[in-house]
Amino acid sequence: MSGHLQITDLTVDFGGFTAVKDLGLTINKGELRCLIGPNGAGKTTTLDLICGKTKPTRGSIKYDGKELASLEEYKIARAGVGRKFQIPSVFKQLTVYENLEVANCKNTGVFANLFRPGHSSHRDGLEKLAEFVGLADQLDLPAAYLSHGQTQWLEIALLLARDSELILLDEPTAGMTAQETHKTAEICNRLKGKHTIVVVEHDMGFVREICDVISVMHQGQLLAEGTADEISADPQVREVYLGSMGIGDA
Amino acid sequence: MALPSKSGLPISRQTLIQLIVYGLVCLAIFIFPFILDNDFLLNRYARYLVLAMVAMALSLSWGYAGILNLGQAMAFGLGSYCMAMALKLRTVPVHTGAGGLPDFMVWNNVESLPWFWVPFYNMPFAIIAGIGVPVAVSFLLGWFMFKGRITGVYVAIITLAALVVANLLIIDAQSVTGGFNGITDLAQLELFGFTFDAYSKSTYFLVAGCLTVSLFVALMVTKSKAGLVLQAVRDHEDRVRFFGYDVASFKVLAFCVSAGIAGLAGMLYTVVLEFASPTFLDVSLSLSIVIWVAVGGRQSLLGAALGAILVAGTQSSLQENEFFLDTWMLIMGALFVLVVLFLPNGLASLVDIIGRALKRGRGPAQRSTSSPAQTSEPAEANVSKQGAE
Ligand SMILES: Nc1ncnc2c1ncn2[C@@H]1O[C@H](COP(=O)(O)OP(=O)(O)OP(=O)(O)O)[C@@H](O)[C@H]1O
Ligand SMILES: [Mg+2]
Repeated sequence: MSGHLQITDLTVDFGGFTAVKDLGLTINKGELRCLIGPNGAGKTTTLDLICGKTKPTRGSIKYDGKELASLEEYKIARAGVGRKFQIPSVFKQLTVYENLEVANCKNTGVFANLFRPGHSSHRDGLEKLAEFVGLADQLDLPAAYLSHGQTQWLEIALLLARDSELILLDEPTAGMTAQETHKTAEICNRLKGKHTIVVVEHDMGFVREICDVISVMHQGQLLAEGTADEISADPQVREVYLGSMGIGDA
Repeated sequence: MALPSKSGLPISRQTLIQLIVYGLVCLAIFIFPFILDNDFLLNRYARYLVLAMVAMALSLSWGYAGILNLGQAMAFGLGSYCMAMALKLRTVPVHTGAGGLPDFMVWNNVESLPWFWVPFYNMPFAIIAGIGVPVAVSFLLGWFMFKGRITGVYVAIITLAALVVANLLIIDAQSVTGGFNGITDLAQLELFGFTFDAYSKSTYFLVAGCLTVSLFVALMVTKSKAGLVLQAVRDHEDRVRFFGYDVASFKVLAFCVSAGIAGLAGMLYTVVLEFASPTFLDVSLSLSIVIWVAVGGRQSLLGAALGAILVAGTQSSLQENEFFLDTWMLIMGALFVLVVLFLPNGLASLVDIIGRALKRGRGPAQRSTSSPAQTSEPAEANVSKQGAE
């Protein structure tokens, strides 16, 4: 059986350094998969490969039966892949509402958008999205004034406004307080089932809160795959993490 | 249909205010000749309005799309040459008589009219070319730059280099472009039965009309969804790309619309000054445009236009004054540095700053009237609770 997102033999070489090597992942529709691993394991690079930011040296990325590996970024996005970056990336000079308006676009052609007003008739739907991530009161605030956590949530809301079916989240809770992390977990749990989600995280508490299956990466390769308990019992995983973050205790 | 504004209008309140302000400024520009009945001065002000147009065009690409085009004068100059060629063919040359070769070609021993001059006998063609040629050149340049993901300072360098090349080509092809001297001794533009004498109200109104139309066209572009996407591109290009937009084509669009307006302005410049010259494609003019826009406010179309009128106007009145003859450059430079340091978004941002200050001034008063109502609610709730007990 092949999954909604099917990665096989994915390899990328940065001038002699292989950041991701023969990686295989199968993620089913509506699944939330966590990708963990020590620093430099190649997690971010894997997401880069899926969303087209980096082109693979070889291997295939099939999403919904469509090969993504050779497509340009914007075409991958149009296929339904949404990416949240490790460094929160929103449009700082635009208001929260305008941010959502940019993301909310079925027809991304240049001329179609030239003859369409910047503030469309979707306001209700976008307001609901802002509410979903707790930004309903900040709709008309420039994104530059949002807190770090709010910026992260806004970026998630943007992916939803884009109607991305596959959502890639790179360290969504980095720099968040415990409370904010909990809220992010709630958001993830509510999206589960409706979207296929890949989350890269270091925070094991958060991972346990949201995840069914965890994939562990190490030096560009898949090291282990299983539930949180299976993973923390795995001797290989314990060895890799030894002294770094104590996965077993989380 | 859901409406975006609470007032029930299909546009936001901010847009409405903006439209009114833009409309009032354009109205003032049209009323001006009735107050100032001096054809010599009107010619000068028409020139400023033309410069305002180029500046406004740059604000569209620089302020909204983040494309710092240091070669804005290229589109301007190409437009001005298109108009000059058409008007040159309408003058009766002294040596060769009606329908003969333009005088400078005779002096350069050109035997027959070059092929690319021939269609300029047709005025509609010339006008379309005055906009179309700059747009086409910018399209090619923009396509090459933006598809190749060239951004930031490299765009500035490439556009500047393109300008220098265009300038050199025109100077070098003296026999067909007039070289250093440019194209002079032009006929007056005749359109729809009107004759546009440079020193008359008609030319002023022509320029004012074109400025108004292009200002509102540019405003519509910025208010469209594409305009919003362009602003997003300015903020974070990659993020936009990962939403599925082909960023390059949006940037090419902004670059080309900007070039089209600059080309139109160039044509008008020829009409107003009655010649075309390689100085219209000068690096110094191109950089001046950037200064006007920076001073006026690059993120405001009207701000950029007014910045051009203000700075260019001050510049020429300083140049006329003997006392400032040597120091005007210094004064302009100081003005530029001051504005960039203290008002990074130009003089236009003063409007926002004053608006915010006014709101703050009014704010506490509103709050003090509403606070009793707010505090009374919990009190009432307490009372009712006690009553229930
Ligand atoms: N463009 C690139 N050129 C060269 N090396 C790169 C490039 N991108 C990533 N790398 C290297 O690939 C390795 C994997 O990086 P990656 O960012 O994927 O790690 P990560 O698992 O996301 O780590 P972290 O937990 O620190 O975010 C690192 O050693 C990094 O230096
Ligand atoms: Mg990473």
